[in-house]
Amino acid sequence: MPLLRSGIVRAETLVDIRGVVPRGIDGASIGAGTTLAELECAPQIPDVLREACRLAASPQLRNMGSLGGNLLQSTRCWYWRLKWPCRLHGGDECFAHEGEHREHAIFENGFCASAHPSDVAAALVALDATLHTNRRELPVSDLYHLPRADDRRTTTLEPGELLLSVELPPAERSVYLKAMERKLWAFPLVGVAAARTGGVTRVALAGVAPVPFLLQGSLEDATPLPRNAYKVDVARALVKRALAALEEST
Amino acid sequence: MARLIRTEKEVEGRYEEVWLVVEEDVLEQWPAGAREIVGRPATRIDGLERARGEAVYTADLKLPGMLHTAVLRSPYAHARVARIDLAPALTMPGVHAAIGPGELDVLVEECGFHGAAIAAVCADTYAQARAALSRVEVDFEQLEVLIDPDEAVARGQLLGEPRVRERGDLDRGLAEADVVVMGEYTTQVVLHNSMETHQAVVQWLGDSLEVFISTQYIWGVRDEIASTLGLPGDKVRVVCNYMGGGFGSKNGADDYTFIAIELAKRTRRPVRCALTRREENLATGNRNATIQRLTIGARADGTLTALGGEYVNATGWGGWSSPVEGPMQMLYACENVKTTTWAAKINQPPMKAFRAPGFVEGTFGLESLLDVLAAKLDIDPLDLRRRNHAQHDGADGRPYSGKNLLECYRRAEPHWERRHEVRARSTGTVKRGVGMASQIWYGGGGPPSYAWVRVGSDGRAAVVTAMQDLGTGTRTAMAQIAAEELGIPLDHVTVSLGDSARGPFASISAGSSTTPSMGPAVRAAAADARRQIEEIAAQRGTPDAPLAEIVGLLEDAQILGKGGRGPNPTGMQVLTFGVQVAEVAVDIETGEVWVDRIAAVHDVGRVINPLGASSQIEGGIIQGIGHTLSEHRLHDPRTGQILTTSLDAYKLPTFADVPVIVSELIDEPDAQLTNLGSKGLGEPPIIPTAAAISNAIRDATGAEVHQLPISREEMLRALREAAAREKVGAPAGV
Amino acid sequence: MPTSRRSPLLRLEVNDHVYELHAEVGTTLAEALRDDLALTGTKVACAEGHCGSCTVLVDGVPTLSCITLVHSVADAKVTTIEGLRDHQMVHAFVREDALQCGFCTPGQIVSAVALVGATPKPSTDEIRHAMAGNLCRCGAYPKIEEAIRTWQD
Repeated sequence: MPLLRSGIVRAETLVDIRGVVPRGIDGASIGAGTTLAELECAPQIPDVLREACRLAASPQLRNMGSLGGNLLQSTRCWYWRLKWPCRLHGGDECFAHEGEHREHAIFENGFCASAHPSDVAAALVALDATLHTNRRELPVSDLYHLPRADDRRTTTLEPGELLLSVELPPAERSVYLKAMERKLWAFPLVGVAAARTGGVTRVALAGVAPVPFLLQGSLEDATPLPRNAYKVDVARALVKRALAALEEST
Repeated sequence: MARLIRTEKEVEGRYEEVWLVVEEDVLEQWPAGAREIVGRPATRIDGLERARGEAVYTADLKLPGMLHTAVLRSPYAHARVARIDLAPALTMPGVHAAIGPGELDVLVEECGFHGAAIAAVCADTYAQARAALSRVEVDFEQLEVLIDPDEAVARGQLLGEPRVRERGDLDRGLAEADVVVMGEYTTQVVLHNSMETHQAVVQWLGDSLEVFISTQYIWGVRDEIASTLGLPGDKVRVVCNYMGGGFGSKNGADDYTFIAIELAKRTRRPVRCALTRREENLATGNRNATIQRLTIGARADGTLTALGGEYVNATGWGGWSSPVEGPMQMLYACENVKTTTWAAKINQPPMKAFRAPGFVEGTFGLESLLDVLAAKLDIDPLDLRRRNHAQHDGADGRPYSGKNLLECYRRAEPHWERRHEVRARSTGTVKRGVGMASQIWYGGGGPPSYAWVRVGSDGRAAVVTAMQDLGTGTRTAMAQIAAEELGIPLDHVTVSLGDSARGPFASISAGSSTTPSMGPAVRAAAADARRQIEEIAAQRGTPDAPLAEIVGLLEDAQILGKGGRGPNPTGMQVLTFGVQVAEVAVDIETGEVWVDRIAAVHDVGRVINPLGASSQIEGGIIQGIGHTLSEHRLHDPRTGQILTTSLDAYKLPTFADVPVIVSELIDEPDAQLTNLGSKGLGEPPIIPTAAAISNAIRDATGAEVHQLPISREEMLRALREAAAREKVGAPAGV
Repeated sequence: MPTSRRSPLLRLEVNDHVYELHAEVGTTLAEALRDDLALTGTKVACAEGHCGSCTVLVDGVPTLSCITLVHSVADAKVTTIEGLRDHQMVHAFVREDALQCGFCTPGQIVSAVALVGATPKPSTDEIRHAMAGNLCRCGAYPKIEEAIRTWQD
C-alpha cells in the first residue's frame, strides 16, 4: 500500500484477495494467506521458516503481512523506491553501482544491484519448497527472475496469477541467521537460510542478490561493489555458523 | 525589582554580550537534598492526558473550514527553477490557492539542497493538495553540486569565517610532549525525526494571527513572525500546549509556518501546513556531519601539553557552525590549545541544533583519541582523565560556578571496576570490554523568564507562564517547585502554559535551559504569592496558620504572585559535567556490536524530579546509541540527493537496541546559580555515549573505530586494521 | 465532507460502538478514525507502516492503521486507545514515567495491551520482541518495559 500511495505502483482497481487465498497450515502445506505472525509461532514448521518469520519486519507487519505477500515484496533499493529512472524502472543505469550501495547486492549485481529483502523467500529456497499458484506448480526459486536488459521483471508471476500455497518437504534440520543494522525490525543486510532435506544441505541467502540467492558455488565468487565487501565477511561467518548448527543436531 | 545589567548570554555554546533587564533574585536556595516535593519522584501531571491520547497536539487540531497544504520541494541538491506554472494546479478539485517563488521569502528559485521549498498549494483535503501539486509545471536548470566538505573548505565556500580559538602555543606544547597521538574522526548526518512532524495551523482573525505550532520556543516564533510580517508582537498569538518532540529542530517558525500564514491570508481560511515524514527527513534540519583531525601531546605522566584540532562542519546550505571544538577547548586542563573550525557550505540540507550540537560529535573524537593516548602511555583511562581535571575554565581563567566532575568519576569507579569481569566473559568470536568518556556542556539557562502564580480560596494554585513542554516533563517540574514553595500538595497545582496570549515571556526549551531558566522564575512567583498570604495571616493575627486557612478567607479574591529569573553569577562559567561507562560485546566475525550496559553519572546541580530526570538520561543515552550504531542519513555521492527519507531506511533504535541503563545524579545544588541551584539535563546524557562505546570496543578488541555510525563495515575495517597492526607490531594510534 | 469523497456507506465497529461513514476507496483506517470519527488518540507519525504510532487492535491483533484500508476492516472489531482509557496499562505507563512527549504512547499502549492479553507476565525478551515495531524517539523504552512488567501492580 505505501508503494501505491507513493506512486511507485499504479492501480486502477484494488481487489481484496483474502477470500480466495487460503490461510492456515495443513500438514506440509501452508496457505499463502497465512500471516508471518501465525507462522512464527507454529511449532510444526521447520526452524528456518519460523525463525525467518520471527526476524522479519515488525510485530505489526507480521500480523498484517501474509506469506504470499512477503514472497512478492519489492526491493528496498533506495534508488528504486525514490523512483530514480534505474534499470528496474526501465532506465539504462543502475545508480547504486557508482552511488550509495552499502545495503546492495554482492552477487548477480552487474545489471541491477538491488538486494532482495525477503527472509522468508530465502528460507523457502533453502527448503526447496514448492509453490502452488492458480495456474501452476513450481519450485520457489523459479518464482524469481533475475532482471536483465530484455526482461526486467523480478518474478515470473503472470498477470492474474495468484500464489495459493507453499508445500514444504520434510527437513531434518534447518536454521536462519540474520544480520541487521539494528537488533530487530530491519531488512537483512545478510540473511542465511540453511536446511538439510533428504540428506542434502541447501544454503540460500537474503539481501545479497536481486533475487533470493541459492548458494551453489563459493562465497569467494562474490562480486561486491566498493562499499559493500563487508557483506561477504558477514555472509562467510553466518554460513559457517549455519552449517555448524546443522551439524550440531546430528 | 528589575535592574539593567550587562552580561553574557549563552545558548548552546554561542555567547553574546547583551544588556539585560533582570529581576533581583532575593530568595535563599533551599538546603541540599530532597524537600517535601522538590527532589522527590513525581509522575507527570499531564501523564494521563498523554497516555490516553486525549492531549491535543498540533497534529490533532481541526479548525472549521481548515485547508490543507502540500509543499513542492526541490528534487535536486542544486538547481534553479527556470520556469514554473502554478495555473494547472489551481484548476484541480478542492484547490483554493497556490504560491511559488517570488511570492514568499521561504519559497526559493535557487534550490541549494534536496528538499528546499519552491511552491505550495492548499486545498480542502491533503490528498487534493497533493494531487494538485503534481500538476504544477516546473522546469529546473541543474547547477553544479558541491557536497564534499573538504573541497568546500579548499574552495573557500564557507558559512562565515573559520573560527580559530587559541591559547598558549600549540607547537611548544607538542615539543614538550613525550608522546603525541593523532587521529582523524568523522561523524555522520543524524536526523531528529521527532514523532510529531513539523507543522502549524494558522488562522487570521482580522489583523491578528493565531499560530498553533509544534515548537520549542513560543516567543521566538512569535517574534520571528511579527518582525517578518511587520506586526506588533501581540497581534501574533502562538500556541503549543502539547508537542511530539523537538530535540533542537523546532526552535523557529520555518518555511511551513510562513507558507500557512500566506495561504491563510489569501484564502481567508484556517490553513494547516504539516510536513510528511518524507519531508521531515529532508528539510527540517539535522546534526551535520563532521571531520575532525586531532592531535594530543602529553608528558609521560599523562599531563596534557598540547591539544590541536582542525574541524570541518559539513553545515549544509545554511545554518551555523556548531561548537564541535568545544570539548577540546573546555574538557581538560591544558595550556596549549588551538582549534580551527570551518563551516562548509555544501549542497545538503541545512543543519539545526540537535541535542548538544557539536559537543556530541566533538566528544566522540576527543575522548576516543584520549584512550589511544592512555594505551600508549599505559595509564588507566580514568586516571588519565583525573590527572587532567580542569580547576577553572581554560580559555579565560574563569572559575566554575560549581563543578563535581571528580565526584562523578568517584561514583563511576564501581562501574569502571567491572571491566575485568566483563573482559573475562569474552569468547572466541565475541569480545567484551568496557569504556568510559567524560561530558562537559552548558545548561545554566539565563534570564529573562517570568511566571505568575495565582492562588484561589480553594487553596489551589495555578502557575501561568507561556513556556512549552516538549516532552521533558517541564510542566511537572514547575508544579513541584510551586507546590514546594507554597507548601501545598502537588495535586493542588496546575500549570497553564503553551500560549503567548496567556502568560508572560518564557525561555526557549533548548540548550538544557528550561528548568534552570524557568524554575527560579516559578519559585520567585510562588514566593511572592506566599509572602502576600503571610502578610494577610499576620494582619489577621494568625501568622502561623496554614495556607489553606488563610486563603479560605478570600472568596472571589485571589493572590497573584509574579516572579522573574535572576541573573547568572557574574564572571563564572556555569556548566554541567558527567561521565558514562559503557559495556559492549563485539562479534569479531560479523562486526555486530551490542551495548550491554551503560552507567551514567551526571552533575547538573539540584534535581527537581528524580523520576523525570532518569527518563531524560535514558532517552539521551538511547538517542546516543542510535547515533553511535545505526542512524545515518545517506545521500547519493554524485548528485547530493537524499536517499534515506523514511523510517525503514533511517534506523532509529528500537526496544531491542536498549542496554541496561544505570543512572545517578550528584544532586548538589550549584550554590552560585539562582534560587534553585539547578542546571539543565536535556543534553548532557547524549554527549559521552558514542565515545564511551567506541572506547569499550577498543577495550574489547583493540580495534580503533574512527567513524560514526559504527556500522558493520566500519567495525570490520577497524578489526582488520588492528589485526594488521598486531602483525607488524606497529604502535597504535599514530 | 467534499462530494468527491462520497461513496457507499461503510459500517465500522470501533470501541464497541458502530459508526456509519462514507469513505472513498483508498481511505486508510487511520484517516477514518482521525478525520471522520474524531478519534485523534491514534497518532500518525510516518504514514507508511514504519513506526507503530498508529497501532490499533483489529479483532485484538495489533495493526498499523496508517496502511490498513478502512474497507478491509468493515467486518472487524477495532479497538483504539480511546477504548482502552481505563485499562490498567494506561496507569502503569503514567506510574512508571513510560512516556515523554507522548506522541507514540497510544500506539505503545495498544501494543502492550495486546501483549499482556496473550502473555500476562511477559519476559524481557517477549516484551522486546512484541514491542520492537513501536518506535519512541524520546527513548522511553526502559520505562515502558517496566510498565509492561508491572502493569498489574
